[in-house]
Amino acid sequence: MADARETTASAAVDSTEAARERLGLAQAGLLAALVAGAPAPAGFDRERLAVQSRALTRKRADVVAKVAPELPVILGEEGFRSLFSGYARGRPMTGGYRRDALDFAAHVLAAGGTGDRRARGKLRRWWLERSGPVPVPEGRLRRRLHLLLARGPSARASGTD
Amino acid sequence: MERTDTRVPLGTGIGWRPEIADGIEALPGIDWVEVVAENVCPGHLPDSLLRLRARGTTVIPHGVSLGLGGAERPAPERLTALAERVEALGAPLVTEHIAFVRAGGTPARTPRMEAGHLLPVPRTRDALDVLCENVRIAQDALPVPLALENIAALVNWPDEEMTEGRFLAELVERTGVRLLIDVANLHTNHVNRGEDPAVALDELPLEALAYVHVAGGVERDGVWHDSHAHPVTRPVLEVLAQLSARTAPPGVLLERDENFPPVAELAGELATIGAVLGGAGADGAADGAASRDAAARTPREAVRHG
Repeated sequence: MADARETTASAAVDSTEAARERLGLAQAGLLAALVAGAPAPAGFDRERLAVQSRALTRKRADVVAKVAPELPVILGEEGFRSLFSGYARGRPMTGGYRRDALDFAAHVLAAGGTGDRRARGKLRRWWLERSGPVPVPEGRLRRRLHLLLARGPSARASGTD
Repeated sequence: MERTDTRVPLGTGIGWRPEIADGIEALPGIDWVEVVAENVCPGHLPDSLLRLRARGTTVIPHGVSLGLGGAERPAPERLTALAERVEALGAPLVTEHIAFVRAGGTPARTPRMEAGHLLPVPRTRDALDVLCENVRIAQDALPVPLALENIAALVNWPDEEMTEGRFLAELVERTGVRLLIDVANLHTNHVNRGEDPAVALDELPLEALAYVHVAGGVERDGVWHDSHAHPVTRPVLEVLAQLSARTAPPGVLLERDENFPPVAELAGELATIGAVLGGAGADGAADGAASRDAAARTPREAVRHG
C-alpha cells in the first residue's frame, strides 16, 4: 500500500516537473525574443511582439527614471529615452533597477553617446558617485581630486556587454 | 478544496502612489487603498499610509514580482517579504497577478532574464498545473487570503487550450484562490485578442471575486495600451456595468500610475464608477465623465507613448 501511495505521489511531482520544464522553455523563448533580441518563437505575431517589446523597454525606462531621476535631467527627457532604448535593445535586465541605471550610464559613457561634453561630465560624475567602492569624499577640492583621479567606467562597461 | 465564504467588504478605493498621497488623504469617501507591495518597506511605511491606517482606511498590498505563472516555484524570500508587508499593513487580503515576470536560467539553458512587467501565461494544461501548484505554495506562506488578477496582454500565445474564463474558473476550483478582476484588462483582451468580455464574465466564478480594478488606457493602431496614465474610458465602464449586472463586487479600486491629474479629476472618476455600480450603466455615468474629460488637460503620456 505504502509503495503504491509513494508511486502516485512521485508521479504527481514528476508530472509537474515535466510541465515546468516545457513551460520554462516556452517562456524563456518568448522573453528572449522580447528583451534579448532573440528570433520570434514559432506561432507568435511578430508585429505584436515588437509592440510588447517596446512597451517593456518604455516601462523599464520609466522605472529607471524613477530610481535615478538625475538621468533624464542630465541627458534631457528625449535623449534619455532614445539612449535607453539603444542600451536596452538586446540587453535583458538581470538585477534590480538601480543596477540597471548604473549599467545604462556606464554604457552611454563607454559608447560616447551623449554628444554634449557638459552632459558627459555630469553623467560621469553621477556614475562615479554611485558605482565606486570608495565613496566620493566631502569637500569641493577633495571631491574634484577624487573624481579626476578615479578611472572612467569604460572597463566596467565592457564587462556588461 | 475548501473555500471559506468570508468575503472582505472593501467599498471604494484608489491605488496609493507617493505622487498623489496628499490628494488621497484629502479625498472623501475612500474606504481603502492598494499599495504596490514592492514599493513599501515594513519598518519604514510612508507617514501618509500610517495616517490612513490610523483613521481606519484598509491598506492592501498588491505584489507585482512573484511571477506565480512562471515555470519556477515562487521564491521563499519573495513570499516572506510579501507576508511581512501584509502584517505591517494589517491587511485582510493580499493580491498578485496571473503572470510570469522572469524566465531563463539553468532549466532553459539561457541567461536569466527579468521582464520588468507582467507577461501572459499560456492558457494550457501545463501552465495551469504549474500555476495551481505555485498558488498553493504561496497560500501556505501567506497569512491572509490571496486574490489573483487577470492581466492585460499585448501578445497571444499560439495553441492555447482554454478561454480566459475557463482557465480562471479551473484555477479557482483547484486552489480556492480569490479573483481580482480588472475590467480594463478584460477590455484590453477584447481589443487586442478579440475576446468578448461578456463571455469571460459568464465563465468566471464571480463568487470568488475579491474586488475589481478600473483603469484608463489608450488605443493606438488598433492596440489597446493599458497605460494607467489616461482617464477611464466608456468601453471600460461598460465592462464594469456588465460585471455589476452579474454580481455586486465587494470592492472597487481606481488605478492611476502616471500622468497624475488634479485629485478632483480622480474624485470625478470615482463618482462615475460609483454611479455605474449603482446601476446608472456606463452611458448615464459616462455622460458626466465626458464633460469632465473635456475639461481635463491633454495627457502628456499620449505624446510620450506615441
